[in-house]
Amino acid sequence: MTTLPVDPDRLREEVKEKYREVAIAPNATYHFHTGRIAADRFGYDRDVVGALPDQAVESFAGVGNPFELRRLEPGERVVDAGSGAGFDAFVAASQVGPTGRVVGVDMTAEMLKKARENADALGLDNVELREGLLEAMPVEDGGVDVVISNGVINLCVDKRATFDEILRVLRPGGHLQFADIANGRPVPPEALRDIDLWTG
Amino acid sequence: MLEEAGFVDVRIGPPVDTFGGAKGEEKARAYEVFGHSFLARKPG
Repeated sequence: MTTLPVDPDRLREEVKEKYREVAIAPNATYHFHTGRIAADRFGYDRDVVGALPDQAVESFAGVGNPFELRRLEPGERVVDAGSGAGFDAFVAASQVGPTGRVVGVDMTAEMLKKARENADALGLDNVELREGLLEAMPVEDGGVDVVISNGVINLCVDKRATFDEILRVLRPGGHLQFADIANGRPVPPEALRDIDLWTG
Repeated sequence: MLEEAGFVDVRIGPPVDTFGGAKGEEKARAYEVFGHSFLARKPG
């Protein structure tokens, strides 16, 4: 049995609170970059981002670019694990095209509401947003070509359970492409148990 | 951990200074935290 450094339920509530703020007040100051500044910093295609309205970009709070090592192919079925206000799901939709499909999964109600409003405004009928946890995604077994994610897996206490869940939804040969943070120096055990450090 | 979980063909992209110029820069520097892109494949 895995010993977890913090209580998963408490961490989820802290994460929800943080990203609720990002959904409602995207232009406030956070410990991370947001919106078009972040997208530009991480090397997103400027033409794709430039074509999106502010509402669809402003609450982007990723930590890198999940499309850097592999561009999605037309027609692929994609899950965005921790889709926030939908920015990466919309970029994914632009790559898979009308024959592809993108399902965004997120646990924060305010982010889901904003993502649905954005998808409707963009007329993206191949993007669907579902409420759920990364460790128990509301997605069928083996029906997904690609799982993308950005800055979310680091917020899951049990990484192994999260990767097991991603393997469950991927078809054999399917890809996981994600961006996340990694530390070059070890984090002391007492810091790992400090829930405030998990959310910045 | 990706390989331990069962993924294959794991690739890691170059580091990006995710928190540079942001409020979280100081903590990120303390633990040398950078963003990376990752690519992995489910066998089959």
